[in-house]
Amino acid sequence: MTLLQRIKDLVRSRSIHVSYVDVGSCNGCDIEILACLAPRYDIEQYGIYVHNNPREADVLLVVGAFTLGWEEKLKMVWDKIPEPKAAIAIGNCPISGGVFDRRGSYVDPPVSKHIPIAAEVPGCPPRPTEILSAILSIRDTVFAGWEVKQR
Amino acid sequence: MAASVFWYLREFARFEWVQKFLFAKTAPLMTPAHFRGFPEPTGKPCMHALYCMMVCPAPGAIEVIHREDGWVPRIQKGHCIRCGLCVEACPNGVLTSGRVLETVGEQMTSLVFSFRIAIDRDRCMGCGNCCTACPVNKIADAQMGSGGHSSNDDVIMRVQGGDVQVLHEEKCTGCKTCEQSCPNDAIRIARILEATQQPVPVPAELTEDGQ
Repeated sequence: MTLLQRIKDLVRSRSIHVSYVDVGSCNGCDIEILACLAPRYDIEQYGIYVHNNPREADVLLVVGAFTLGWEEKLKMVWDKIPEPKAAIAIGNCPISGGVFDRRGSYVDPPVSKHIPIAAEVPGCPPRPTEILSAILSIRDTVFAGWEVKQR
Repeated sequence: MAASVFWYLREFARFEWVQKFLFAKTAPLMTPAHFRGFPEPTGKPCMHALYCMMVCPAPGAIEVIHREDGWVPRIQKGHCIRCGLCVEACPNGVLTSGRVLETVGEQMTSLVFSFRIAIDRDRCMGCGNCCTACPVNKIADAQMGSGGHSSNDDVIMRVQGGDVQVLHEEKCTGCKTCEQSCPNDAIRIARILEATQQPVPVPAELTEDGQ
């Protein structure tokens, strides 16, 4: 691995832009993501910025049990994110449907059916520390050596 | 030109800036031990009381499975909502999560279940699927046929006069097998959960020492 590649990996792993998309959650997990921004957890000191613009994002946080209205739209958001990219399922709902996965409910979990999911954070809702450590745990595996992997 | 590059580097490539970029000021916060996490086994043997599954509010979060060395509760992460009710409901203290067991021990609380069987008379066709599917009925009357008729008075419900009659609501364990087998959505099971501060008798076969 060349020196340039190492510098790229280092810089890339220290500046992650996050976009989050709510595909029908109860807002519990959204609030936990919001708590990551607050001074107590302070997600920005790890170089993670919440932008909510998929064209600038590296990581997509997916929240919610995937209501049917998101059928084509989530794929559209995912396709807009430039490579290298990763999606993280936050909370029980994108993993299993959570408490909404009942007979007669209009949800279509899991989200991994619709877009590739790199990491899953279980919990209803997950704690901000768990969300933070999930983002930090994928930054080295997904973004390291991207140009080498492309070749 | 050279001066501007110098000033640029001096302003932006400062040591503090590079240090802040590469290293976080604080390590990620750790979760304290007293927070309610996913339930963990305490090592006490499970006596298959199934109170955990009865009380669990999240679909598919806990199941009691049989291994070589007996029954064990298994938590499904991604389904479990960490409410700690299974820890509180278990008569044998098989699971632990945060401070739930200590609090229950201090305050002497216990949970009482009961189940209500509601049958929609307008929708019930009297096919008897619910009666034959019910696992408690199967123990009470092994002879019950496909029509759901029974001459046994110990069954939870049976088909009488072309309609399902509920005889022993108190025997229901809330497994909802009848709900799943009903072709017409006519039967509904509702759980009633009460928290009390009186000691609740647990059947002897469900406790560890059998008394």
